[in-house]
Amino acid sequence: MAEHISHLFIISIILYLAGSLFALCFYGWQRVGNYIALIFAAIASCFSIATAVVALSAGSTIRLDFTIYHAIIKYNFLLDPVSAYFILAISVIGFVAAIYSIGYTRLYVNKRDTRFLGFNYNIFLASMLLVVTANNALVFMIVWELMTIVSFFLVIYEHENPVNMKAGFMYIIMAHIGSALLAVAFFIMFAHTGTLDFSFCFDDFRNVGSHMPVIYKNVVFFLIIMGFGIKAGIFPLHLWLPMAHPAAPSNVSMVMSGVMIKTAIYGFIRFYFEFLTPCPPWWGVVVLIIGASSALLGILYALTERDIKTLLAYSSIENNGIIIVGIGLSMIFKSYNLMALSSLAMMAGLYHLVNHAVFKSLLFGCAGNIYYATHTKNIEELGGLIKRLQVTAPLFLVGALAISAIPPLNGFFSEWLIFQSILNGFHIPSVIIKIITIICGAVVALTGALVATCFVKAFGISFLAMPRSEHAKKAKEVPVIMLVSMGLLASLCVFLGIFPVKVMMVINSVNTHLLNTNILPAITSYDWLHTKSVQTNFTELSPKSATVLGLMLFAVTFGVLTLIKPRFIKKIYETWTCGRSPEPRLEYTATAFTRPFKTIFSNLYRPQREVRTEYSVPNFFVKSIAYVSEVTPIFEKYLYSPVSRFVLSMSTKVRWVHTGSIHIYLTYIFITLIILILFVGK
Amino acid sequence: MTAEIILPILQILVIVGFSPLVKGFINKIEARLQCRRGASIFQPYYNLIKLLRKDAVVSETSSWIFRATPYVTFISILIISLLVPVLSEQVPLNFTGDIILIIYLFALARFFLVLASLDTGSAFGGMGGSREMMVSSMAEPAMILSFFTVALTVNSTNLCNITNLLHNNSVLLLNPSLILAFAAMTIVLIAEAGRIPVDNPFTHLELTMIHEGMMLEFSGRYLALVEWASSMKLLLLLTILVNIFFPWGIADGLTFSGLIIAFALYVVKIGFFAFLIVIVEMSFAKLRIFRIPNLLGTAFILSILAVISLYVVR
Repeated sequence: MAEHISHLFIISIILYLAGSLFALCFYGWQRVGNYIALIFAAIASCFSIATAVVALSAGSTIRLDFTIYHAIIKYNFLLDPVSAYFILAISVIGFVAAIYSIGYTRLYVNKRDTRFLGFNYNIFLASMLLVVTANNALVFMIVWELMTIVSFFLVIYEHENPVNMKAGFMYIIMAHIGSALLAVAFFIMFAHTGTLDFSFCFDDFRNVGSHMPVIYKNVVFFLIIMGFGIKAGIFPLHLWLPMAHPAAPSNVSMVMSGVMIKTAIYGFIRFYFEFLTPCPPWWGVVVLIIGASSALLGILYALTERDIKTLLAYSSIENNGIIIVGIGLSMIFKSYNLMALSSLAMMAGLYHLVNHAVFKSLLFGCAGNIYYATHTKNIEELGGLIKRLQVTAPLFLVGALAISAIPPLNGFFSEWLIFQSILNGFHIPSVIIKIITIICGAVVALTGALVATCFVKAFGISFLAMPRSEHAKKAKEVPVIMLVSMGLLASLCVFLGIFPVKVMMVINSVNTHLLNTNILPAITSYDWLHTKSVQTNFTELSPKSATVLGLMLFAVTFGVLTLIKPRFIKKIYETWTCGRSPEPRLEYTATAFTRPFKTIFSNLYRPQREVRTEYSVPNFFVKSIAYVSEVTPIFEKYLYSPVSRFVLSMSTKVRWVHTGSIHIYLTYIFITLIILILFVGK
Repeated sequence: MTAEIILPILQILVIVGFSPLVKGFINKIEARLQCRRGASIFQPYYNLIKLLRKDAVVSETSSWIFRATPYVTFISILIISLLVPVLSEQVPLNFTGDIILIIYLFALARFFLVLASLDTGSAFGGMGGSREMMVSSMAEPAMILSFFTVALTVNSTNLCNITNLLHNNSVLLLNPSLILAFAAMTIVLIAEAGRIPVDNPFTHLELTMIHEGMMLEFSGRYLALVEWASSMKLLLLLTILVNIFFPWGIADGLTFSGLIIAFALYVVKIGFFAFLIVIVEMSFAKLRIFRIPNLLGTAFILSILAVISLYVVR
C-alpha cells in the first residue's frame, strides 16, 4: 500500500515537472505548448487526487526520503493524513483550474507568451504539493520559496500594467519578510531539539515545545503567527493579498485564493499541533482573536469594493479568518485537554477550508468569465449579464449563496460547525476565555450577515437589471470548457453541503491522526427517516432532509397554485419608473447599495467624498457633475506608511556611510573582522 | 407514527392558515386605536385570494431570478414552519435542523428577495434591498446571540429541546440573562418583521419604505406568495418568541385535549404579543434610517450582555 501511495505521488510530481518543461519546448507553437502543459497538469492532479484518497483511506504515515547529490540536504517527505487532506484540496482545485485555463488562456493568445503561464502553473501546483509534504525544514523553506517566486511570476504575468508590477513587488517583499520570520523560528526551534544532526528533519522538531524555555516558545509562536499570517492574509498583514490576487490572471487567482493561502493554515496546524505542543491556552485565544478580527475586517473592506476580483480577495481574507477561528478554538480546547471538542473545532476549520477552496475558486472563475466576456472587472460597469452569460450567472449565484452560508449549500454547513464549536466554549474552565469565545461568536455572526450583503451586491449589481456600459451590453457567453469546469465546482458546492457526512469521515481520519480522537461515531446518527444527520451535544442537523423537505413543499405549493389558477399568464411590461422610460442610469449602483454601511462603519472606513459641479451659467445650468468617493485605507495610512517612512529616514541618515570608495569599504570589513575576533575571543 | 405525520401537517396548517389573520388582527386593532373602523380582520385573506386568481405583470428587464424569488421565499418560510414547535413541544422533523438553520433559512428568503428587488432595475427596489440588508445584518447577529443565550442555558440549540426544557424548568426563565435575551429578541422581532419604528408596512411613499420597496414590482400570484411569506415570517417569529419565553400550556405530545388547550393558549399569547406590537406602533414614530443601527446596536449589546452575564453568573 505504502509503495503505491508513494509511487502515485512521485508520478504526479514528475508529470507536473514534465508538463512545465514540455511547455517550454514548443517555442513556435505557444498555444500548443500551453495546452500540453495544462493537460499534463490536469493528469498530474488526477494522480495526486488518487494519492490523497488512498493515503486518507489508509490513514497511515508514509515517508519518502531521498539523498540525491549532497549529503547535507536530505530530501525528506512525509505523507500523513494531514498532508493528504491538503493534497486533496490543492489537487482538486488544481485539476479544475487546469481545465478552466484551457479556455481562459485564449484571452492571451497572440498577445503574450502563454507557454510561460503553463510552465509556471505546473511548477506552482507541484511546489504547493511539496510544501504540504515536506518533512524537513530546509526542504520546506526551499519549496516554500519556490511557491512564492512562481506565484510572483504569475501575479506579474500582465507586467506592462504598473499596478500589477506594484502588486507583485508588494507580494514578494511581504512574502520574504514572512519567510525570514519562518527561518528564524526554525533556527530557534532547532537550537532546542538537542540533536547535532544538521539534517533539520521535522521528526526532530516534533514535540520540541515540551523541552523549550517558555520565552523561546512564545517568541516562536509569534514568529510563526506572523510568518504564516502574511501568507494567510490576516489583518494587518493582509496588504499584499487584495493587490496580488486581482492582478493575477483569473485562473491563477483561483488557485492562489482557493488553495495557496491555505498552505499557511497547514503551517499553523503543523507547528501548533505537532511541534510546539503543549500550547498554553492564551495562544489559542490570540489565534482566535486574530481569526475573528480578520474575518470582520476582511468582509467590511470587501463590502465597499467595486472591483469584483478585489472584492473576492478581501473575502478570502474573511474566510481564512473563519478557518483560523476554527483552528484557534481547537487549540484552546486542546490546551484544556478537551480532545473531543478540539476535534470538533478542527473539523469545523478544515471543513470550511475545503468549502472555501471550492466556492472561492468557483467565484474567481466566474469573475474570470465576466472579465473574459466584458474586459472589465468594475461592477459598476456591468449589469444585465444574466441574459448574456446565461450559464455563468447561475454558477456565480451558487458560489454567492454558498459563500453567504445559505442552506443547503456547503458554506452553511461549515458555518454551523463553527457555531457549534463556539457554543461548546462553555466547557472552558476560564471565564475570560469563555467570554472571548462567545464575543468571537458574535463577530462571526456579524460577519456572516455582512457576507450576504456583499454577495447580494456582487451578484445583483453585476448580473441583474440592465447593462450599465457598452462592454456589458456586448458580452457573449464564454467557451464551454470554462463553464464545464465551473459546473464541476458548483456541483461540488451542492454535494459538500447536502452530504456532509462523507466529508466529515475524511476529516475525521485527519483528526484521528492529529489529535488521537475519533468523534465521528458520536456526531453522526441515523434517525427514523433513515437520513444521516450530524449531531453535536447541542443539536442535530440534516441538510439532506432540509433539501428534500424543500423540494416536497415546492411540489405541493406549485400543485396547489396550479389548481387555483391553471393558466397563469405573465404579461411582460416595462418597469415603472415614475413616468420616465427605464434606463441604466436609474438603476441602483454598487456604491449606493453599500452606502448605509459606509455611514454605519464610518469610523473604520473614514469615507471621503467630493462633488465637483461645473456650470455653464453659474449656479443655474449644470454642465457636469463629478462625484468621487473613496475609503481611507487606514492600515496603509497609519501602520505601513509610518514604518516605511521610518525605514527611509533611517536609511538616509546612515547613507553617509556609503561613500562609494572601495578603500573605505575595505576598512569597514577590517573593523568588522576585528570586532568579531574580539567577540569570539571573549 | 401518527404523531409524526399529524403534527407537521398541523404545524404547517396553523402557520399558513393563521398568519394572514394575525396581520388582519394587527390592522384592525390599529385602526380602532386610531378611531377608524378599519377593514375586516379577514381582509388579508380576501387580498390573497384575489391576488392568487390574477395574472401577473413582469418587468421586461427582470430575469428568472425575479420569477423564482416568490417560490424560494415562500418555501424557505414553509420549511421553517416545520421546524418550530407551535402547539406541541414534540416536533417530529426536528432532526432536520436547529435555530441556526432557521436563521439562515430566513437569510435565504431575504437573499432572493433583495436580488429580485435589484432585478427590475428600478431604483426603489434597490433602495429597499439595500436598506433591508442593512437592517438584517444588524439584526441577525443580535438574534443569533440571544438564541445562543437560550441555547447555553439549556444546552441545546434545538428549538424543540429548548421549549421542552424551559417548559419543565420554568425557574430558568427568571434567569436575568434570559430576560436580557428576551429584550434583545423583541427588538430584533420588530426589525425583522418590518414594523414601526424600523419600517412602516403601510407606507406607500417610496423613500420611507424598506420591505414594501422590495415588493413593489411583484403582482398577481407572485405578490400573494411574497405577502403571505412575510406574514408567515411575522407569525413564526412571534411563535418562536412565545414558545421559548412563555412555554406554558404547550402540549407535550399528541393528545386531543392537550392540543386544544395548547391552541387556545397559543391564540391568547400570540394575540397578546400582536397587541403589544400595535401599542409600539402607535406610540412611536418611524425612526430615521440612520437611527436604526442605534436601536439594533442596543439589541446587539443587550444580547452580548445576556451571554456574558450567563457565563459570569454560572
